[in-house]
Amino acid sequence: MKSSILRYLAMGAGLHLAMTSAPATAGEFDGYTLRVKLIGGAQYEPLYSRIAEWEAMTGAEVDVLSRKNHFELDREIKQDIAAGTLDWCVGSNHTSFAPQYGSIYIDLNGVISEDVLAEFQELALKNSTINGRLLQLPRHSDISNLYYIKSLYEDEDKKAAFKAEYGYDLVPPETWDQVKDQAIFFANAPTFYGTQFVGKDEAITGRFYELLVANGGALFDDDWNPIFNSEAGVEAVNFFKDLYDAKAVPAGALNYLWDDTGLGFASGTVAMDLDWAGWASFFNDPENSKVAGDVGLIRAPKGSAGIRTGWSGSHTFSITETCDNKDAAASFITFLTNHDSQMIEATAGLLPTRTKVWDDAKAKFAAGGNDFLVQVFETYAVSMSEDAFTPPLITPWIEVSNEIWPQLQAAILGEKTPQEALDEAAEAARIVMEDAGYL
Amino acid sequence: MATNRPPFWQREQYTPYLLLLPALLTLAFVVVLPLLFSLYTSFTGYRLIRPESLWQWVGLRNYKRIFADGDFWIAFGRTIVFLTIALNLEFLLGLGIALLINRITWGQRTLRTIMMFPMMFSPILVGYQFKFVFNDNIGILNNALQSLGLSDGAIPWLVDKYLANFSIIFAEVWMSTSVFAILLLAGLFAMPRDPLEAAKVDGCNPWQVFRHITLPFLMPFVFIAMTIRSLDVARAYDIVDVMTGGGPAGRTELLWTMIARTGYDNARMGQANAMAYVSILLSIAFTYYFFTKLLAARKYMGGAD
Repeated sequence: MKSSILRYLAMGAGLHLAMTSAPATAGEFDGYTLRVKLIGGAQYEPLYSRIAEWEAMTGAEVDVLSRKNHFELDREIKQDIAAGTLDWCVGSNHTSFAPQYGSIYIDLNGVISEDVLAEFQELALKNSTINGRLLQLPRHSDISNLYYIKSLYEDEDKKAAFKAEYGYDLVPPETWDQVKDQAIFFANAPTFYGTQFVGKDEAITGRFYELLVANGGALFDDDWNPIFNSEAGVEAVNFFKDLYDAKAVPAGALNYLWDDTGLGFASGTVAMDLDWAGWASFFNDPENSKVAGDVGLIRAPKGSAGIRTGWSGSHTFSITETCDNKDAAASFITFLTNHDSQMIEATAGLLPTRTKVWDDAKAKFAAGGNDFLVQVFETYAVSMSEDAFTPPLITPWIEVSNEIWPQLQAAILGEKTPQEALDEAAEAARIVMEDAGYL
Repeated sequence: MATNRPPFWQREQYTPYLLLLPALLTLAFVVVLPLLFSLYTSFTGYRLIRPESLWQWVGLRNYKRIFADGDFWIAFGRTIVFLTIALNLEFLLGLGIALLINRITWGQRTLRTIMMFPMMFSPILVGYQFKFVFNDNIGILNNALQSLGLSDGAIPWLVDKYLANFSIIFAEVWMSTSVFAILLLAGLFAMPRDPLEAAKVDGCNPWQVFRHITLPFLMPFVFIAMTIRSLDVARAYDIVDVMTGGGPAGRTELLWTMIARTGYDNARMGQANAMAYVSILLSIAFTYYFFTKLLAARKYMGGAD
């Protein structure tokens, strides 16, 4: 009964549309309205200026139903799944979030042509694939490298003092142990800090996870038993805890998210900052940053197992199973991830997922005399191809993360020992994995 | 002999029920059905991202988990403490403001309007505002303290066990004290002048007048404000979520930050609804307590039972 009412309403709406939409151009999808839910925020918006071009090209109209940050969008999508209101076609997605949504999105293999897919980086497509289904078309990628204030490493007094204290030369760090030494050495709280870290939510889980891997550990064994309460795990927690205890990071770091670390480094009060490429232009812009012109960048350092940290993911687009015009949706997301679209995002420092855009963006920066961004792209290109790994692409990832991060905080604050905290987190993660049917 | 009985909906004894029917139906659809539905889901393993799990009956499992979950009861206890402190502070400050505004004769309307400004902000904005004020590194409070020479360190306002809760209560009190002030001011306006003047004639000092006449008269207003605010605070979410997210290490976790994380981020809506039903006990207890006090206060004033 309810569904038939809805159907009549939908028919009415369709009729209304058909009567009122005057064909402006003889495009492919004339008169069709594509309903989309997109991620919003300063760094994501420039791409959306291209939506008007796609509308003009195809004759379709795009109705943006929401434009929110990903955590809010995630809630909204979950509500849509629960209420059965997936009456939209295209949604922004992310490699970390995608496994949760089950079967609401279609396999893009066959929907997006093979020629187009061949132009994307293999790793980016692999990370967008779950159980053999390509659920997402990657828009831009994300990985972190280490920014530092160059002049600190050129100061002869500091070099001498550091060598005397630690027995090796003060050069940009190659390992996370060196990061810890140097951060403690540079720190002079509350006016200056050695480094900082994001301290809550999936953000700190991710940072812990990548250090765990770099130290030779893993979150799960092959049978999905949680094993992060290992020696490598304790070593990773101690990295954060030692920095915190030595006041080498701001006291409020446990409340920090991405904006706080970026703005902190730009304020000139932090020596080193592990962050994504999206900040590069901002850090080097004298209008916004006190360290402009003095920013160095190196590949993320290595953990005790000689592996570099490389927690990575991609922002992506997906098409719903319930979409009433999958061709239009496919045309839309292909357009928003094509060469020109990715050039727009790359120019702002976001990492492209098309192989050719890496080279073209670099050439564009070089032609414009922006050597810093050339260096940024070269550094990130290497880390994307050699160091990148995603969190486990499993449905309960966010839930497992929500069990881990409060325990990390408790260990860093000294309420529990790192071993106790990780043991408790591992036990809680086991229950989550059992409930989700993995164990 | 058969009389022509009218159909039952026209009979006199049913008229009151028929007249009440629209209200009852509205209540049933808007309040009772959703409540029953959410109560039902609290006995299921309902996950938002798995609509079919709505039919997965798990009996009392969700409730058993809650009763065995230490973190939940710590959050429960913290919510009670948070509520008690916030309500009392808001009451005292609101009373003070109302008494002061009641005294002035010029600019009272303007002041009353200004006083309501904090209530006009969305709690999310208030949260961001105080998150910035209390930021340890770039926040204005620490910078002011350091500039004035009152502190030489970065005080971790949003991290320390006590300071973090203090900061959140401060934001909550800043935003909502005017609820008390407005209601108490209305009480003061409605207050008869005769007992006050009689007391003065009898030689009462200002404290005695306040203690034995003004305050008892205001108490019904206080309890109404307390009831409204206790329901508000017991579901405090936005400010806490923005300022600390319940952290660090669960130090500022209140019931609703925990329930929202369980229900949405973890998508365990069945479990979250069970938590919500247990936490509703808290709201019912506070409401019952304040209404009992309200009735007692009205009796004391010679009002209706």
